[in-house]
Amino acid sequence: MPDDGLVIENASKHFASFIALQSVHLCIERGQFVLLAGANGAGKSTLLRLMAGISRPSSGRILIDGKDPQRDAAARSAIGFLSHHTLLYDDLSAEENLVFFARIYALESPRQRVDEALERVGLSAHRHRRLRTFSRGMRQRLALARATLHNPAILLLDEPFTGLDQPARTALSGQLRDLKQAGHTCVMVTHNPEEGADLADRLVVLRRGCLCHDQAWKGSATDLATTCAPFWDGLR
Amino acid sequence: MGFFSLLVLLVFNFSFELGGAALHEIGPGVLWSAFVFACLLGLNRSFADERENHSLDALLMAPGDRGAIYLGKMIANLVFLLAVELICLPFFALFFNLSPGFFLLPLLGVLVLGSACLSAAGTLFAALSSTMRLRELLLPLLLLPMIMPALISCVKATGLVLDNQFGAALYPHLKMLAVYAIVFVTLSLMLFEYAIEE
Repeated sequence: MPDDGLVIENASKHFASFIALQSVHLCIERGQFVLLAGANGAGKSTLLRLMAGISRPSSGRILIDGKDPQRDAAARSAIGFLSHHTLLYDDLSAEENLVFFARIYALESPRQRVDEALERVGLSAHRHRRLRTFSRGMRQRLALARATLHNPAILLLDEPFTGLDQPARTALSGQLRDLKQAGHTCVMVTHNPEEGADLADRLVVLRRGCLCHDQAWKGSATDLATTCAPFWDGLR
Repeated sequence: MGFFSLLVLLVFNFSFELGGAALHEIGPGVLWSAFVFACLLGLNRSFADERENHSLDALLMAPGDRGAIYLGKMIANLVFLLAVELICLPFFALFFNLSPGFFLLPLLGVLVLGSACLSAAGTLFAALSSTMRLRELLLPLLLLPMIMPALISCVKATGLVLDNQFGAALYPHLKMLAVYAIVFVTLSLMLFEYAIEE
């Protein structure tokens, strides 16, 4: 078992009598871009939330560089999380949101880090606008800025392309490619084979809460759809 | 919250013959009833922003102690509640023909301790109920029985202060409120992350 990277050791998650995940065992090395695919209800988002430390496994454990994110602050600071929700405050401006999170992460020179983050996602001109006035694409860009503000080693992405138009998808895809090339470990959840097929170097498929397929990946969206098709029966 | 408290005081003003003997008989109960109802309104909104924006997930991923989320919310609730109480006090004095006097400082002490008890317990139960569908109904059902001991001491202590009895009779109630607040803050810091987890 490696000491660095992300390790999911026989993790299960139950919600009352419903079994969302069943004994998932997965080791993700540093720098990998893992595509976590599966039908709706397969347990992908649940697994991602366990990795992020937002949710606690019913059994088993999650380790980040050998540490439990539920207990260890350093393990949590290595994680960035981008979902289809922004996890930001609608009534604050873009700058206020990022400054708030920069302070929570105790970043040095928070204002400077926020300026750089806004510049990176192309939102410097909109820094004083309230988040509720942003379009969906702008919200997602700001959410990416929040998720990468503290330069996390591991980026968890939960269907980040949801609700984005084609130009926004292309822009986000480009930013994810840059993050991959910079050496960040990325785990991206998708149920759409067109998203992430060209970014991933490993494919993991979940079906009804179980890990059913795991392979190195280098292919197109069509190849991904073909590979995943046998496991796409599992609507829950 | 402030407007709601004033409304409660106004309703009691028209319901009862306030002033004179009523100050000692029902005054403390009227005052704390208004504060508790206002507190419930405020507590229901404690985690509303985090719930609507899903930003509690981002706070849970932050590297600090999760108890810090509870402490921050609790202190905010305490400050809001104290502000409401300070706004309501002059109106209470007006309706009950209460003149300013030496009792004001001890009364403020009772208000601070009582509000700390309400905020300490209320913030934990607000967190617990924030993920439930019937949160507006569940919060009072969960909270009111738990704060009953503190509430009784608040009402008794307020009555003693308004009667200018600051000595041995008052001390046990103040001690009760201080212990209640400390116990609930300690318990909440330990239990908070379990209250908000999925």
